[in-house]
Amino acid sequence: MTVTTDTTFRVRQDRRLVRPNSHSERFLLARIAAPRATAEHQRKPVNLAIVLDRSGSMSGEKLRVAKTAVEEAIARLQPDDRFSVVVYDDKIDIVIESTTASQESRRAAVDRLRDIEARGSTNLGEGWLRGCEQIARHLAEGGVNRCLLLTDGLANVGITDADELAHHATELRARGVSTSTFGVGNDFDEHLLQAIADAGGGHFYYIADAPQIRDAITSEVGETLEVVARDVVLEITARDDIRVEAISPYRVSGGGNRTFVHVGELVSEQVLEVVLRLSFPYGLLDRDTGAIVALTDRDGVFSTAGTAATEPIRLTWTYADDRANDAQPRDREVDRAVARQFAARARQEAVGRNREGDYSGARHVLESTAKRIRAYANGDAELRELVDSMVREEQVFSAPMVEPARKSAHYAAANLLRSRDSQGRSVRRA
Amino acid sequence: MPDGRYALNQLADLASVTPRTVRYYLAQGLLPAVGQSGPGAKYDDRHLARLRLIRRLQAEHLPLAEIRRRLDGLSDGDIRELAGASEPSAPDDSALEYLRGVLAGTPATQPRRLPQPGLSVPPPMRALAVTDAPVAASRYEPSSVPEFSPPGVADEPAPYASPPMVPPSFLPSMPAPSPMERSQWDRIELSPDVELHIRRPLGRAQQKQVDRLVAIARELLEEERP
Repeated sequence: MTVTTDTTFRVRQDRRLVRPNSHSERFLLARIAAPRATAEHQRKPVNLAIVLDRSGSMSGEKLRVAKTAVEEAIARLQPDDRFSVVVYDDKIDIVIESTTASQESRRAAVDRLRDIEARGSTNLGEGWLRGCEQIARHLAEGGVNRCLLLTDGLANVGITDADELAHHATELRARGVSTSTFGVGNDFDEHLLQAIADAGGGHFYYIADAPQIRDAITSEVGETLEVVARDVVLEITARDDIRVEAISPYRVSGGGNRTFVHVGELVSEQVLEVVLRLSFPYGLLDRDTGAIVALTDRDGVFSTAGTAATEPIRLTWTYADDRANDAQPRDREVDRAVARQFAARARQEAVGRNREGDYSGARHVLESTAKRIRAYANGDAELRELVDSMVREEQVFSAPMVEPARKSAHYAAANLLRSRDSQGRSVRRA
Repeated sequence: MPDGRYALNQLADLASVTPRTVRYYLAQGLLPAVGQSGPGAKYDDRHLARLRLIRRLQAEHLPLAEIRRRLDGLSDGDIRELAGASEPSAPDDSALEYLRGVLAGTPATQPRRLPQPGLSVPPPMRALAVTDAPVAASRYEPSSVPEFSPPGVADEPAPYASPPMVPPSFLPSMPAPSPMERSQWDRIELSPDVELHIRRPLGRAQQKQVDRLVAIARELLEEERP
């Protein structure tokens, strides 16, 4: 993949002044636009495992549509790609061992898929790990190795602990195998599936009704075929007494004066926004302090030297007195992005409280976040509208909600936090 | 940043020292010279890592001559590691080995655990420590104690799983003071020429005053401004 001129990387500061006698918090908005995938032959080889829940609750339309979706996904692969299919209830069956996507193997796969019937309970953990094992046996070093895990229920056999499963997802991602998850209906645990997808470097999809299974799997497989940069990492270099956090839900690592924000892989023309918060130490009036933000990835798309679009970005803040701080201009684009992130987090927390029956708690979370946003909204129409909509939502979240409404609200917020659209798809350049 | 290029002021800011200190170390040969001198000179990550390590060794009260001697035996990689500039590193085993461990019921890696306080200083640095100064003393060298745990940092495969080879001269050469010693004097370097001596332990309020004093004194002692 070559770097094209449409690759862009920008970082904006909400404010440029900080206070000498208190710990100022300032926000950064990083906007990353991936290049367009060029010719078909340049695309990375794909190594997929599709892991289907065939526990009793999947019987009927859900399993039927899921099987169709798998057939369609396999049909899109090239002969150099690989795939496997695993089904699980309390037992795990490797329906199709990892194979290259030749015409014969694809045809054989369709036949075997037809025989799958629903039964039993849900060993989600082992089903998923067996799918990952199929991928790992033929790991595509330069490619995208992705396990797709579909379920409509809770993990109730085998490894069921969410932290443990998320831990394995992190470890597998570090070893080149990523995971995306698909939750169907009302009875799955979106926190578990979201955690596996986040830790696993993939995506989580909420599927309210069986017919949408096809759309979600088609979209995810399509994106897997269009990955242009893997292991994209934002590197922030700053004094080590400046604390750097990601507000957007990406994994953060680092030490000393360098922080790494792992944003995962980007598909052709994908646009991603990442919000960061910096907390500054006390400092002397008029003194400058800085940070350098760089973008790297495993394929060298962003780190290739010599392209002005992806040069490291140098930012400066100046210690100034309170009057200057109070009067300083704000970058409203950053304010809005920050407000959207905090509003989305508040909505997710409100969903959780609502499920627990803590209705006043749900209202309070929205109220206090709306209040904080109002404090800096001033005349900004978009921020005021966000505040108004949160106030309206207080009514919804402070009364019992039906489960699909909770899942939808959680999903909408989850997508917003990760720069994805309402269907869970990557946002692309217009 | 693989080939970061810093101006003198940026380098000094990132290492939390004054530009004057950087020039002093350059003159003393503790930092490698750059091709171009003067205001246009550019420094890279090797300078930053070296500078951070020098500051850390100074916090151990080692004289500059001794610091120079120790740095001489180290590669750039050693210095980066010792300066605490950890890069994301690949795990030792493959995905397949990992999965076989998990599926056999014996996880290759233990499930996530909260970081232990005793592990907050990476092993190589603990080997470096010649005194066991209280945590408060290292506040002026925040690099020596990671003071925050960003979300998700516990998920990282142990970054110091394989400590770099440390030359024998880095092993502790003095016995650590016994924990029974209730008070001790700490030296805080304010500039290459000025030190502050403080008797520990300090009360909370006193500690805050000292923090402020050090911050202000360091700024005052800096002659040049960007």
